[in-house]
Amino acid sequence: MPGNEPPSDPFAEFIDDYFVECDEHLAIARRSLLALEPSLANSRLDSEVVDELFRSCHSIKGLSAMVGVRQAELLAHEMESYLSAMRKGTVRLTAQGLDILMVAVNALEQIIAARRQHTAPPEIADLLARFRGLGAGAATQQAARPSEPAPPEGHLTPEKRHLLEAAAAQGHLPLLFKFVPSPALAERGVNVNSVRQRLEGVGRLIDAVPVLADEGQVAFLFLLICESVDPAFESWAADGLTFHAYQPEKPAVPAESNAPVDGDTGNVDSGNGDTGNDHSGGPVVGNSSTSAITNVVRVELSRLDALMRMVGELVISRARLNASLERTESLLPPAEWRALQETNQALERQLRDLREGIMHVRMVPIRDVFARMQFVVRDLTREYGRKVVLTLHGEETEIDKFIVERIMDPLLHLVRNAVSHGLEPANERLAAGKPPEGHLELRAWATGETIRIEVADDGRGIDARQVLARANAAGIPVPESLAEDVLLDVLCTPGFSTRDAADLASGRGMGMNVVREVVEELGGQLAVETRVGHGTRFMIHLPLTLSIADALIVTAGGQTFAVPQASVREVLDVAPGAIRPLENNELFLYRESAIPFVRLPVFFGLPEEKGPLSMLVVGDGRNAVGIGVERVLGLREVVVRPLIDPLVRVPGVGGATELGDGRVVLILDTLAFTRGAAKSLRNKGIAGTSFTSNPTAVAGA
Amino acid sequence: MKHILVVDDSSTLRRMVIASLRSVGNIQCHEAGNGLEAIERLSLGPIHLMIVDLNMPDMHGLEVVQFVRGHAAFKGISLIVLTTRGDDESRAAALGAGASAYMTKPFEPKELATAVRKLLVLE
Repeated sequence: MPGNEPPSDPFAEFIDDYFVECDEHLAIARRSLLALEPSLANSRLDSEVVDELFRSCHSIKGLSAMVGVRQAELLAHEMESYLSAMRKGTVRLTAQGLDILMVAVNALEQIIAARRQHTAPPEIADLLARFRGLGAGAATQQAARPSEPAPPEGHLTPEKRHLLEAAAAQGHLPLLFKFVPSPALAERGVNVNSVRQRLEGVGRLIDAVPVLADEGQVAFLFLLICESVDPAFESWAADGLTFHAYQPEKPAVPAESNAPVDGDTGNVDSGNGDTGNDHSGGPVVGNSSTSAITNVVRVELSRLDALMRMVGELVISRARLNASLERTESLLPPAEWRALQETNQALERQLRDLREGIMHVRMVPIRDVFARMQFVVRDLTREYGRKVVLTLHGEETEIDKFIVERIMDPLLHLVRNAVSHGLEPANERLAAGKPPEGHLELRAWATGETIRIEVADDGRGIDARQVLARANAAGIPVPESLAEDVLLDVLCTPGFSTRDAADLASGRGMGMNVVREVVEELGGQLAVETRVGHGTRFMIHLPLTLSIADALIVTAGGQTFAVPQASVREVLDVAPGAIRPLENNELFLYRESAIPFVRLPVFFGLPEEKGPLSMLVVGDGRNAVGIGVERVLGLREVVVRPLIDPLVRVPGVGGATELGDGRVVLILDTLAFTRGAAKSLRNKGIAGTSFTSNPTAVAGA
Repeated sequence: MKHILVVDDSSTLRRMVIASLRSVGNIQCHEAGNGLEAIERLSLGPIHLMIVDLNMPDMHGLEVVQFVRGHAAFKGISLIVLTTRGDDESRAAALGAGASAYMTKPFEPKELATAVRKLLVLE
């Protein structure tokens, strides 16, 4: 098999780097392709995006050649040739061309994945032929150089000139910075890359060129557009960085006087990110990835895990220190003890900062996941012949890398479901008085210690009666209620599918049961809101990080428990009369409604102590449950140790943690409470019936 | 001790190049991820030979070659252009701009090492 030959031996040791770098280039390629899509309609090709895409293909080609992944090399070469012709202006980007490029990116991914898994790569002969049909000309026409390379002295391209003029029209200042590097500066980390980054932080970089001063000293000129002159600029002289106002006449970075200004470049990205696909708001002409590449350190996630474990151990040690301090308060002179206590508290703050710092390193924007979804939606709409408008919100939301990787498949499933089951064909939509094109919305945002992701469509909604009828037919026990969380339970039952025949899209991959399983394994929750004829919204609630959490320490039945603070909405004192018995259960009157009340000792079969009770309200709105405990001792940072052994897994227990005094306490899985209690009450027809008449607006409509 | 500067925007490729030169004795390799960084490096310490990729963002490898060849201060530096295969135009352009040698990726480690040895001795 030509594309699957073993790596040429000398570079076998680099195969993992190859995979990582290809992943990065594929992500860039996907982003670029999506960014190019609007240009089909307005025939204004963003040359920067084409350049970036070209370079990604070029890099994949070169790297694939080095490690002997021949098919990836061939395919990337065809992509590159097509893009190169586009840069030269000999071909135009067509819808067909864009489609083929997208198919090719998917194929590249499969080829590289096949190499990784030592399986047979997909057949690409057809795809290669399709590229040749695009008329990019002979494959040897690869660009020898960028379309408009600036000569070393730095003549400005018409595009850059135009940017300058536009900036001047807005009253912005063009400034010319000069940086003279030196070994002393380099030692302090001041170099051309860091200077460049610094400048990109204060303005829009138009041009960067090297020059040679009289004594043969290398210097760099940066042409920057700033809104104003920051006083800090003056102080940068100490870093070999000086500036003056840029005069187009100055010979240092001369502009071509006769370059016609192309009307098409009239609104080169003015920086307001209207399409949501500009390069993360970076106001940079010259592709910030240059400096990014050299300043980015790749770290294996396992190393960060190890760091996080160490921090976890530090947290426990500090908790021990805290406990010792509490014991010794009466033994030490107050002044001495206070000093110790202050250090202890400082240590706590610093530990928290350290933990947040490491967490931050692990965070990546969800952007790439969302870009993947755009690809999937495109494919699906073609497969099903449906028009779908996909809106993305919160692409910059950052999520733990570990979680991002695992949430991809569940999200893919929800999106596929939405397109294949949720959204109706255009004629059905028109008949229902809806716009012919379906709307799908992906949204992510952070709230405190948690991340929320939503997938919403304005399709037909889930008809609970149909679902229950189907469940009945499939032999799945059917509750009487039609509440949404019950509905979700049914949808998430293994073996349940809302379609008779598993169709192409939704039938592959995971079922809803796996979606929920994955979300819950990540310590998250899945919920659904649906309204027949109006749409469905799946909501995923995830913790920001997995290993350390703030928890309320409570006692119940003589035992101590930890309750993740993120899941607790409120802590209340329970007035004796506020609890109403109902058959074998109890209700608590909470904000003008009744919520199930679960006594924690009773839940775990522990002896109940007499006395006043406190209640933790957990769960959302209609899923809210009150958990009765004896005392709330306080808030602690706890290191979550999951209980993986199935023998020790108990409903209601999510993990264990160690307190400062060495005691191991159980961490409650509040989800088990919201589900269990709500269900047992609902089966009696009490809770959870109100919301069906109170549908939540479905976005995207 | 001869100093070699490897210029490529792919860190994997830079490391592949450096790995290929393990057999060449008495050299020290330095890396630059883009053209500006490469030129800065020239001003910070002696460089005897550069191995330059062509297709890099911002500053094309040819521009790096032109800059180096355009200034007497760097006259002694040997330049190997190492670019992805399938590009006949750039061979002429690179040699025309003053590259000492032109090689394509994928390359044989031995060939690269031989070319480096040759250029360093000839210097």
